[in-house]
Amino acid sequence: MSSSETVVDPDKVRLWSEDYEGHDVISTRTFGFWMYVLSDAMLFATLFAAYGVLSYPHSYYTGPTPAQFVAPWYTFVQTMALFLSVLVYGWAMASLKDGNKSGVINGLLGALVLGILFLALDIHDVMRLVAAGITPEVSGGLSAFYCLTQVHAAHIFAGLIWIIVMLWQVARKGFTEDVVGRLISLRMFWQFQAVMWVFIYVFVYLWGYMS
Amino acid sequence: MASRRGYMTGFILASVLMALATFLVSSHALPPFALLLAIMACAGFAVIAQVYFLLHIDISEHNIWNTVALVAFIPLFVITIGLTWWMFSQLYLRTMPMIPGMPGMH
Repeated sequence: MSSSETVVDPDKVRLWSEDYEGHDVISTRTFGFWMYVLSDAMLFATLFAAYGVLSYPHSYYTGPTPAQFVAPWYTFVQTMALFLSVLVYGWAMASLKDGNKSGVINGLLGALVLGILFLALDIHDVMRLVAAGITPEVSGGLSAFYCLTQVHAAHIFAGLIWIIVMLWQVARKGFTEDVVGRLISLRMFWQFQAVMWVFIYVFVYLWGYMS
Repeated sequence: MASRRGYMTGFILASVLMALATFLVSSHALPPFALLLAIMACAGFAVIAQVYFLLHIDISEHNIWNTVALVAFIPLFVITIGLTWWMFSQLYLRTMPMIPGMPGMH
């Protein structure tokens, strides 16, 4: 407003601060981790692009298409397991604000169990498909399908290990600056998996089922 | 900011939208193109609900730079997926052999 309209002397204007004004460790790390999450989203974007160009009728050629092997309500149960896991993790973060250590540990345990349920349902689904001869090497379309869905499952697996590590650290170290920062980063990582799952569920599973 | 109520709101919105999309697809309630538009809308609203209520992407002073970074990435997502898809769809149109009865081929 008035400060932006004031005419300044170019010789005397201060372009940057002389000293380091300081950022708190947690917000700096959180922003850095958000950059990682966005670059991870770019990884998913390339896989979505690969799936997009490899989900034409000729991509499956004469082999099975998602319309024949996707079970929408089964995958919906997977969706609910992941969403509930993210919700319970959110409750853990709300307990963290209250300084409630047992609340955080219970929330992390709940998120862990529901995340394991999601992964177990995914592995069960893959084994059902493999038993029916629907494997990645059958066609380019199936390769893209497996790549996208299983890269997401690999992220879930990494997140589960991280949750176990955080359970250990919360129990042993308590709410130190490092531990709280890591809980916030893990919160973003875990919620981001739910966002990616919405795209995978709707555009790979449901769209594949209906086309 | 982070609160049990906010997380619950995000969860309920996303879950209801996903249930709706699943119901529409599994019951074939709409013609294919309308169905596609409907599930795209479900996905869009569910993602917006999650990004706002869960990831706290808003214009508050605390989160504004996260929001700016996300907005800067959106064109990259659009280019990566949209341009690749467009390029390959045109390539297929011009190079793939015409197999009678194959949908999407002219």
